[in-house]
Amino acid sequence: MTEELLSALGRALVDGSLTDDEVLEETGQPPAVTILPQANVIKIGGQSFIDRGRAAVFPLMEEIAANLGTHEMIIGTGAGTRARHAYSVGLDLGLPTGVLSVLGTFVSMQNARMIHYLLAKHGIPFIEPVQFAQLPLYLAERGAVVFFGMPPYTFWQQNPAVGRIPPHRTDTGAYLIAEVFGARSMIYVKDEKGLYTADPKKDPEAEFIPRISIAELAELDLPDVVVERAVLELMPHARHCRSIQVINGLEPGTLTAALAGEHVGTIISADGAPA
Amino acid sequence: MSAADGRDRRHHVDSLLMRESLLDKDVMRSTETPVVRMLPHAHVVKIGGRSILDAGRGVVYPLVETLAEVLQTKKLIIGTGGGVRSRHMFSVGLDLGLPTGVLAQMAAADALGTAHILGTLLAPHGVVAIPPEIFGHLLPLFMRAAPGVIFNGVPPYSLWEHPPAIGRIPPHRTDAGSFLLAECFGCKSLILVKDVDGLYDRDPRKHPSAVMIRDIGGRELKQRKLESLPFDRVLLDLLANARLLTQFQIVNGHEPERLAAALDGEHVGTIVHR
Repeated sequence: MTEELLSALGRALVDGSLTDDEVLEETGQPPAVTILPQANVIKIGGQSFIDRGRAAVFPLMEEIAANLGTHEMIIGTGAGTRARHAYSVGLDLGLPTGVLSVLGTFVSMQNARMIHYLLAKHGIPFIEPVQFAQLPLYLAERGAVVFFGMPPYTFWQQNPAVGRIPPHRTDTGAYLIAEVFGARSMIYVKDEKGLYTADPKKDPEAEFIPRISIAELAELDLPDVVVERAVLELMPHARHCRSIQVINGLEPGTLTAALAGEHVGTIISADGAPA
Repeated sequence: MSAADGRDRRHHVDSLLMRESLLDKDVMRSTETPVVRMLPHAHVVKIGGRSILDAGRGVVYPLVETLAEVLQTKKLIIGTGGGVRSRHMFSVGLDLGLPTGVLAQMAAADALGTAHILGTLLAPHGVVAIPPEIFGHLLPLFMRAAPGVIFNGVPPYSLWEHPPAIGRIPPHRTDAGSFLLAECFGCKSLILVKDVDGLYDRDPRKHPSAVMIRDIGGRELKQRKLESLPFDRVLLDLLANARLLTQFQIVNGHEPERLAAALDGEHVGTIVHR
């Protein structure tokens, strides 16, 4: 152990430029630790799932409860129909993307509170971003927590290249939690089996895609995809969360199978699909 | 366009978003409409951490004097950088294997410290550092009540910071936080106060023959792939998608009169435009 106050990297960071690729290359090592390697992040869709009400939500709550004690779950919620309404009103009135992001957060929070009250009898808490420091304790004690999927960017939400809808919404917020904690899996619970060549709700000819890489997906250049494009843009840079699975939560047992590591929906991977 | 037209379009967009996927490219194009400016008269000024606030009394006091003078006639939203303490925290955190989101969460504290340092010096002029939890939502109220405010320039990305393409340093730092704020609130200008006259074709500290670039487009600058920039690299991506803030200026805070001139709309450093 040296008596130096700063390591070589420390000196480079203090004296050098954080825009210099050579300095930045040094900051990739040593590799990042996994903070919660046993936890699974589950995102429950807003429009695709929660807005369907009791018929969709109650069986999923039972399935989540049945997995307590077996799998640790960090459960994020989508926004859905009310966010679309708020975005429409806001767009018409000329509100900037950052304000639309605030509005989307409120809806995602309502959905998180609903899911939380349905799981409350199992002692599962709802946490806001400031409470994430308590997340490991809640997971260890109760096996699950509920959070709102929207990333807390609020007025600092970036503009999209096209249009004004916040590009980083609840799929992205949930994904980034899986990445930063080095979670075991990232599962999106929607109302479709996964990714199709077109929107299966509108196009009966749409074909199901069970597994695809980011590169293949980019090549297909689909007009519509099943998860936010920002997730697909972030995945190639991920240190931990290099694949995600989209599943149909309306089919009983699908979430349980996905938690067990089974391939039951569409797996999207940052790396080339294995043979 | 008549009011009736506007109303029709709203209903159209309204029903469109209701039925459609927000991931559909055509639906996204339909949401491109004009944006209001919340604070069109306010300027956002980002004061560098390492370059200015860590440089000591000789640099900071004259700049504070200039800010005090400017604040008599202009409304300023002042962001601060985290400086050397953030760099040190990054190096310890990286050595311990902490991920980007955790480093971003911690970086907010360094910049908040710097915000309070500047806030103490500007307190006689009615300008203080505002806690980040209330800053965004109350900003228009503060701007009506005070000549200016100070915030920690770090955007509230925290654990939700994006993993960068290279290494693990958070890509959205205090320049980016100041840019995003100016864009969202439709502010009049963004000025980045640094310890160089502007942008150079090479790092002027290492290469005395470096040539200053007075004016450049963001796209061209990105293509030139300069080895280092005097601002967060992600600003070029943010600028490309900006609707309201179509340029920013880098000025040398070691010559504070340049900041005053830049706030008057003069071109005294490097302007990077969309």
